[in-house]
Amino acid sequence: MTLASVTIVGGGMSGFTVAKELRGRGFTGALTIIDPAGVPYDRPPLSKDYLLGARSQEDIQLAGRTWFAEHHVDIVTGTVAALRSDEGTVVLEDGRRITSDKVVLATGGTARRLPIPGGDLPSVLELRTRDDADRLRSLLVPGSRLAIIGAGLIGAEVASSALPFGADVVLIDPVDPPLVPAVGPELARRLHAMHPANGVEVVTGVPTSITVDATGHKVTLESGHTITADAVLVGIGIVPETALAESAGLETDNGTLVDESQRTTHPNVYAVGDSSRVRLANGTLLRRAEHWEHAMKTGATAAAALVGDDLPEHGASWFWSDRHGVHVEGVGSMTGEGATIVREKDGEPAVVFKLDVGGYLAGCAAVDGGLAVRAARRIIDRRIRVDPKQLADPSIDLKKLAR
Amino acid sequence: MNEAISIGTAGDIEQGEATVVPAGTNGTDQDIAVFHAEDGNFYALNDTCTHETASLADGWIEGTEVECPVHSAKFCLKSGSALCLPATLPARTHMVEVRDGELLLYPNIDAVV
Repeated sequence: MTLASVTIVGGGMSGFTVAKELRGRGFTGALTIIDPAGVPYDRPPLSKDYLLGARSQEDIQLAGRTWFAEHHVDIVTGTVAALRSDEGTVVLEDGRRITSDKVVLATGGTARRLPIPGGDLPSVLELRTRDDADRLRSLLVPGSRLAIIGAGLIGAEVASSALPFGADVVLIDPVDPPLVPAVGPELARRLHAMHPANGVEVVTGVPTSITVDATGHKVTLESGHTITADAVLVGIGIVPETALAESAGLETDNGTLVDESQRTTHPNVYAVGDSSRVRLANGTLLRRAEHWEHAMKTGATAAAALVGDDLPEHGASWFWSDRHGVHVEGVGSMTGEGATIVREKDGEPAVVFKLDVGGYLAGCAAVDGGLAVRAARRIIDRRIRVDPKQLADPSIDLKKLAR
Repeated sequence: MNEAISIGTAGDIEQGEATVVPAGTNGTDQDIAVFHAEDGNFYALNDTCTHETASLADGWIEGTEVECPVHSAKFCLKSGSALCLPATLPARTHMVEVRDGELLLYPNIDAVV
């Protein structure tokens, strides 16, 4: 049976990618994206340029309205309340129904709340949507005190972005330094040290409660230390949004379970992005990934599967972050057993390579070293054996090693 | 028709590298990146990535494609087409010609694909 129509629930990067890739692969059937926010937009700027006001709502749209019109992609502003997989029908909260051959769930995730007293206070901020960023921005005024719990990517980026507003920022994390699994200890230490160097107060501790009264918020730590703040933002990861999948009887386990083609346990329904989790044919559950590029890759895979194309091959995972004027990137894995090689610049670690026990490159992370990471990505993906001495030597052009 | 601008010799840009001809000096208000691709030919695109501000000349040049150094958007050096997300808009192309070893840029004249 020829595929005639696809409905995508969710307009983040993964949902948008499904639509773009379907059209790119020659799909000419009906294509609908449903999202409460309407036109799909990119989320990484929410903690950076959008929060700073340097980019507008229109600037962060993944494509302009013209693109959707030209490519015949219908944008439905609304929230899906129910999924009837057998019929391929989604029912919106307002009662509208859309039926198509296949449904793709690109429902993303919700910010994880702190499981402590006060963690669920409505005044405790999170940053997942444009509205969240608007709300946060409205509170960033000169002299306002912002406590950020969680110094991972979002927390660190917001800490950096809040400074130009004249806000006093306290960044709280139980780990010192955070991000070691992502970038390795050398760069994690360097990056974390940039916070106090730029005027952010860094506190290492475990929050045990948050209270609020007329004078503001109070975050109490396990040590008994308290931090007072006008606003509290929690950035400790996400919970995959699987309620719709669960209510439709699809299998979930910390994500909507999908096979390697992103198909769920119902043949009419696919799931992509943060909300999806791959279960291999042998039953092995892969770790759920939450990076922006992973959203793009899973969207591309689902699109290929929907039209019957060969599934695209995706290389090592990649992420980036921007804070305090530096650009951080990482590719592959920095956590396994094996040697670590550091390239320094101006006496500081700039690029870190992680080899696996067999001597192959497994991961690389860099500060302001995008080309190094791109070279590393190719070395990893192509299983090129490189001499560790050459990796360590800053005079060796990594590009040449990746050929 | 715009005048050609001499931007040096073909030997000035190593294969797999690029140079930027700054706005104002190139007859347009945009920085233009001139690439010496791995197929041996020269191509020119507006230097600023169409996704977000970044210099494509600083990107990863492979074959006849360039990958943005910031978010890995890819562009075809010949046509300027955006080959992968996050870019959806093409990069503007400009014609480049090598004449007697001299590298000539024709700002705002589309490259012939």
